[in-house]
Amino acid sequence: MKRTLVMVSIMLAALFLIAGCGGKDQAPVVDPTTIETEPVPDEPVAEETVAEEPAPIDYTSMDPQEYGIEDVFFAFDQYDLSDEALATLTAAAAIMSQHGDVTYVIEGHCDERGTVEYNLALGEKRAVAVRDFLVSLGLPSSQLRITSYGEERPFAYGSNESAWALNRRGHFARP
Amino acid sequence: MSRFAGKVICLWLVCLAMSAAASDPEISIGTSRMAFERIDMLVQPLEVVSGGTEAQEAAWLVESVIRVDLDYSGFFRALSAEDISDTTQIQYAVEGLLEGRLAGTGVTAQERAPLLTLRLVAYPGRQLLLSKRYRPTWDRLRATAHHFVNELHLFLNNEPGISLTRVVFARGDGERRDIFSVDYDGENLLRLTANRTLNLFPAWSPDREDVAFMSYREGQQGIYLLDTRTGKVDLVNETVGSNLAPAWHPSGEELLVTLSKVGQHEIYRIGLDGTTIRRLTVSPAIEVSPSWAPTGRDVVFTSDRTGSPQLYIMDADGSGRRRLSFEGRYNDAADWSPSGEQIVYACRERDITQIVLIEARGENRRVLTNSSWRNCEDPSWAPDGRHIVFASDRTGVFKLYVMDVRDRTSRQLTFGDESDKTPDWSP
Repeated sequence: MKRTLVMVSIMLAALFLIAGCGGKDQAPVVDPTTIETEPVPDEPVAEETVAEEPAPIDYTSMDPQEYGIEDVFFAFDQYDLSDEALATLTAAAAIMSQHGDVTYVIEGHCDERGTVEYNLALGEKRAVAVRDFLVSLGLPSSQLRITSYGEERPFAYGSNESAWALNRRGHFARP
Repeated sequence: MSRFAGKVICLWLVCLAMSAAASDPEISIGTSRMAFERIDMLVQPLEVVSGGTEAQEAAWLVESVIRVDLDYSGFFRALSAEDISDTTQIQYAVEGLLEGRLAGTGVTAQERAPLLTLRLVAYPGRQLLLSKRYRPTWDRLRATAHHFVNELHLFLNNEPGISLTRVVFARGDGERRDIFSVDYDGENLLRLTANRTLNLFPAWSPDREDVAFMSYREGQQGIYLLDTRTGKVDLVNETVGSNLAPAWHPSGEELLVTLSKVGQHEIYRIGLDGTTIRRLTVSPAIEVSPSWAPTGRDVVFTSDRTGSPQLYIMDADGSGRRRLSFEGRYNDAADWSPSGEQIVYACRERDITQIVLIEARGENRRVLTNSSWRNCEDPSWAPDGRHIVFASDRTGVFKLYVMDVRDRTSRQLTFGDESDKTPDWSP
């Protein structure tokens, strides 16, 4: 509760800042005292808002990892889902089903070994495997988009198995 | 008359150099020991007739470009007078001599274009074989020197060399990768895209006016066409899923691409407006990396239908599929040689990717690189069928390297900290 209050306050303060800087006329003269003092009188308003109704969390602007949707990992040159990946995706599907308005991009990634083009195809196969399993659990396919970055956008750098293992993944991203 | 006689003499010279190969029909030029021998050319400093310092510097530039072109050709070796210990024996030490003169006309050299004369003289006998006069602008001297060496190749071999060719490639880091092009000798680096996303697999059109490539510029993969003269980019195809690695038909009128719009990766022939001409593969396996035979009759490609990526060849209509690679668990990125006789590709074994050369009939497999190269990927043939360019991470980051597949000498083509991948050598 306290955290939500803080977040809403920060968001409101940010809104005022944006509003304050947005006008063409004000833009050249930025008075630091204005920025500091302006949000202060509005703080009670923020408290009232929270008291009336809890602010909805905007899941569409959050990375899926922030609310419990985890990435899944693959073996070298494989795109079938391990038992661990199936469990991860089952948990992810439960969360996703609560947020039917959120669209997810499933990105397929590969480790640096192998060739650029084959890895782009392999990455897509991984993304498709993830999507198809989620759809089999009842999620609408309209909620899920897929893409592949192959070996182009690694999560971990280094030419060793620990880096490679982190890079062979199906990653959930915002559209 | 003299020129005709000269050509005959010169051809005789070349025949002499190749006589062992020519007299024995079982030895092809590509594999015979004669392929390692180069024709020695004495390159003399250009005579500067007028124009002062600027003209002298221009003369040095032209001479150095000619030397580099000769050495990079794999066919010649550029020698200096100092390389020949007994100058009275020049006629026995070299087979040809290149000389020339440069006149920086006008009072100030910048005002008017220089007059450049370049000549090829055959030894022994001092026959004048080729003489060319140019009046290039000062900023076109490098291109003019390349042009003269190309004339030399046309004259001696009846086919162009590689001195006027360029290489396109994708340069960048994890977030973005742009298309660049560079002269075959590493000069004149040009950036062709700047759209803050991933661009890969550039491929020269046969007329060298366009570059087809794959880009995420609209958020998803698409095949695009870049007009290198205007910089204009046109969308060719952007169906859902993969839009991979365009490969030009020799006619320049259609592309081979890998699309996954039907849910699996298949190879298609498409027109430059994106219309499907023919779907060539039908398989749930990954089928990628197509490359046309120079005749346009066959396609080499990669399929993992056996569980690991392997090379196959099929007819232009998708029929007659036959497996090409049997060694190695992971083979991809094939490129068919300009002569049609050889195919070069990347093979991954024991966790390292190497460049392999194989005859299109499937025989005579040779690994061109070794583990000191670390990983080597995406080979592409030069139009001379003698050189390839590929990406290697031997310095820790992927950069481009050129290799002469006959003697396996190599040189680094691109430099810098960003990774360079998927090169394509121009026609």
